[in-house]
Amino acid sequence: MKKVLLASLVSLSLSASFVHAQSAYTGGDDLPTNPLACDGAAGEVASKPYDGGEPTNAPDRKGKTINVVDVPKLVGIGYFNATSKGIADAAKEMGTMEAKTDGPTKANIDDQITLIDNYITSGVDGILFAANDPVAIAPVLKKALAAGINVVGYDANAEPDARQWFVNQAEFNGIAKSVIDSLAAEIGKDGSFAIVTSTFTTPNQARWIAEMAAYQAKCYPDMKWLETVEAQEDNILSFNQANTLINKYGPELKGIVGMTSVATPAAADAVTQAGKCGSIAVVGLATPNAMKPYVSSDCVKSVVLWNPVDLGYAAAYVLRAAADGDLKAGATSVKAGKLGELKVINGSEILLGSPFVFTKDNINNFDF
Amino acid sequence: MANANHPTSASGRAPSERGVIARFAAAYGQEIVIFFAMIALFVIVTAINPRFISPENLNTIFSGNAYIAVAAIGMAMIIITGHIDVSVGALIGVLATISGTLAVSGYPVWVALIVPVFVGMAVNAVIGVMVAYARIPSIVVTLGMLSILRGGLITVTGGAWISGLPPEFLIAQAKPLGVPAPIYFMVALTLLAAFWMRYSEFGRSLYAIGGNPEAARASGIPIERRTVMVFVIHGAFAGLATMLFATQLQVIQSTVPPNLELTVITAAVIGGVSILGGTGTVIGSTLAAILFAAIGSALIFTNVSAYWLRAVIGVLILVTVMADMIRRNRQGRA
Amino acid sequence: MIKRILRHETILALLTVIVLAILAYQSDKFFTVDNLLNQGRLMTEVGLVAVIMTFVIVTGGIDLSVGSIVGLTAILTGVFWKSLGLPLPLAAFAAIACGTFGGFMNGVIITRFKVPPLIATLATLALYRGLAEGISQARSVRGYPESFYVLGQGNMLGVPTQLWLLIITAIVAGVVLGYTRWGRTVYAIGSNEVAARFSGLPVDRAKLAVYTASGFAAAVAGVILVSRVSTTRSDMGTGLELDAITAVVLGGTSIFGGRGTVIGTLLGLILIQALKNGLSLAGIKGDGTIVLIGVVLILTILISNIVHRDGNR
Repeated sequence: MKKVLLASLVSLSLSASFVHAQSAYTGGDDLPTNPLACDGAAGEVASKPYDGGEPTNAPDRKGKTINVVDVPKLVGIGYFNATSKGIADAAKEMGTMEAKTDGPTKANIDDQITLIDNYITSGVDGILFAANDPVAIAPVLKKALAAGINVVGYDANAEPDARQWFVNQAEFNGIAKSVIDSLAAEIGKDGSFAIVTSTFTTPNQARWIAEMAAYQAKCYPDMKWLETVEAQEDNILSFNQANTLINKYGPELKGIVGMTSVATPAAADAVTQAGKCGSIAVVGLATPNAMKPYVSSDCVKSVVLWNPVDLGYAAAYVLRAAADGDLKAGATSVKAGKLGELKVINGSEILLGSPFVFTKDNINNFDF
Repeated sequence: MANANHPTSASGRAPSERGVIARFAAAYGQEIVIFFAMIALFVIVTAINPRFISPENLNTIFSGNAYIAVAAIGMAMIIITGHIDVSVGALIGVLATISGTLAVSGYPVWVALIVPVFVGMAVNAVIGVMVAYARIPSIVVTLGMLSILRGGLITVTGGAWISGLPPEFLIAQAKPLGVPAPIYFMVALTLLAAFWMRYSEFGRSLYAIGGNPEAARASGIPIERRTVMVFVIHGAFAGLATMLFATQLQVIQSTVPPNLELTVITAAVIGGVSILGGTGTVIGSTLAAILFAAIGSALIFTNVSAYWLRAVIGVLILVTVMADMIRRNRQGRA
Repeated sequence: MIKRILRHETILALLTVIVLAILAYQSDKFFTVDNLLNQGRLMTEVGLVAVIMTFVIVTGGIDLSVGSIVGLTAILTGVFWKSLGLPLPLAAFAAIACGTFGGFMNGVIITRFKVPPLIATLATLALYRGLAEGISQARSVRGYPESFYVLGQGNMLGVPTQLWLLIITAIVAGVVLGYTRWGRTVYAIGSNEVAARFSGLPVDRAKLAVYTASGFAAAVAGVILVSRVSTTRSDMGTGLELDAITAVVLGGTSIFGGRGTVIGTLLGLILIQALKNGLSLAGIKGDGTIVLIGVVLILTILISNIVHRDGNR
């Protein structure tokens, strides 16, 4: 009898949840989107005045050795390992920067804030950050600016007035276009696809998904967005979620998009192990090293990413320029070592470049 | 006290005057509840989307989560003995990194697979000694161990991932007779542990220790030695779980899988292992681990908005536990 | 009895003083008023939860759902204010009421249905976090009025606002646990629940009150956290339960119940926060600090056990 009770409770709670099921649900955010033109014409860039912050009474650091801490979203994943390598490379090249990386072991806003707070007290000259949450990190970064510390972000932005500059790896709509274009090239203009992301609260991923939905609706209206699933930053969970999607949709599913450097290789592994290489395409954001096995076995045709080593490298140079006073409000470009001149966009952002598409032909030239 | 209220045949105290079915129901009450919950779930979800019981999806549910079930076997033993271990997730993360590092540095595959089992046993031997002889509560030791392992992993690896694993290392991808290898592991280890817990003197003594340590000591059970041993065995299961966990994909992350310890503990307790010690079986913990995996899969198949996923899981856990408590309380009165 | 209780706290206090001295020697930035007050601000949320968690653990229970209640309260504050249009103070109070109700529900499940606390709160850990995710639909609420930040980012009489709350809570809790009939009931339940029941103490009522209070503390911590970081997200407070429990057991509260003090918990809190902060200032990275906190936790209890030699627990 208990079992009947239990079974009915189980079904009740399940059916109750159907009420909340939404069909056209993508996992994106509510912010306005700005999809690029389908034919690849450059997007309009509205010029904006400088909207970043300024450190208060910063000492003259020009040419002096500065002490810098890099606080990524979390440590222990390949992506941020690559950015800190870039920062270390740049610091070595300049010879006037002492840089170290210290981040939370979980992508946790509170741990990150506490870490930065401690480094402010310890008196660093510069802070590089990749924010777990753009708003939550703002108060502590403003505190850093008020203490005369140079603050530069990379990868994941904070509120503009809480930092001086942000090194943007590639614009959200540019990445969305690259991903959806690569996907359409493989599954056709009427294929169905699903998304594996980290969590719906991760700002960068939510933004990319929103831009992807907008671009797909505009340029490939016949493609079908099946659903978006969460898989944390956990590769086994990503693998299981991708498998479940494959099992659920059967032949209808033509493509899986991985939104993180964790989810994409796991999805590729799921497709490989299911023996569906060739019938289900995997595209997404990932680091080349993790994707090499799948690309060389032809299961994955293209991987979209910027170069995270370059991203860290550029961030370090931007911080140096800001500390030297060479990069000031109103500047239109900045020199970043071997990367040359980088453009200033959106008031206070520095654009690294267009997203890069790795394929079988070039992936072995990269090691990160 | 609560465990004295209801008969627990696992410790051999089922009243013999009852019928066979009643005895079986009393012995495996929670296991039966979970089993029927699972059947109900499969029936309902399959009615909505028949692909749910396709062989591929069953493989995904069973094999993709087998490592949780294997780790939960060891956890069930720990909890039955009256202890707890919140560091097992971090331990599995560390062991996976050791395993992967050995595999890519050219050691034979069997070395890379077996060394984590011994390291797991060694680490847990330390925990066991601190619990049994230094008399530090297990939750304190393992809370400390959780910090040490999690922080230490990042300090040592610097966060680098391990890739380029040799193909023969990836045993979790093997499919003898068309069934994924992790399923064999899970079933064999569960049965082995279940028989051992039920019929060996050692296994039965664990129930005695968890149920009433003073009585166990009076009856001549060497509590300290047994406690260390059960932690060592738990460490071996963590090593075996690592064998499945680390070999599923071609990349090993050097971070601790988030919340793995909570998942493992939940599987053990929902499977009927009383947190007060002294009752429960490892069959229950394995069933519960599979039930969770099935729920996760079912929610995707039934298009439950992913935003509500965790709330649904929470409700299901509560319902299962409360149904069990109602059953136990009634049995206690009967 | 009193002597024995004091013993662990004395050891811990000594250890804390030694650690503070070493850290102050390592970095001249550590022992400054500004830094210490700032650390007080950072530890308030965990502190509030840990102080009440002391009661929970003294009864022999545990509350794993506190981190999720923090997240749920944070989300509800934002939703009540932004979506329902309530004035912010009212929204915060309503959210705290909901969080408190969450704690009350824990108590009901534990006392009425006799579900062991660890399992009950393990289930509500998933449930409350799930509700937070479901209600928020992964959206965060931002743009609170400047006046709201006084609570989490402002000062009162030169001391961080929320630190006053922690101090008052700690004093009240310390007095209640140490010197009232009610506090003795809490100890009695933890030492021997059956005996407490037979001697006519209101066991269920006391437990219900303790878990409700735990929900309340977590809810208040949630609102403070929102005010400190100026946004709400459904993943706020994740893992906070383990930080709070670590502080409580480091403070000498027996995980089996019946033993523990608020002062011990406060010392545990201070020691952990000082280590996190001081080691960072001394140039040790976050992951190294985590390792050290683990070692300190085990060693402190070990030393305390050796000194006590009371053996059975």
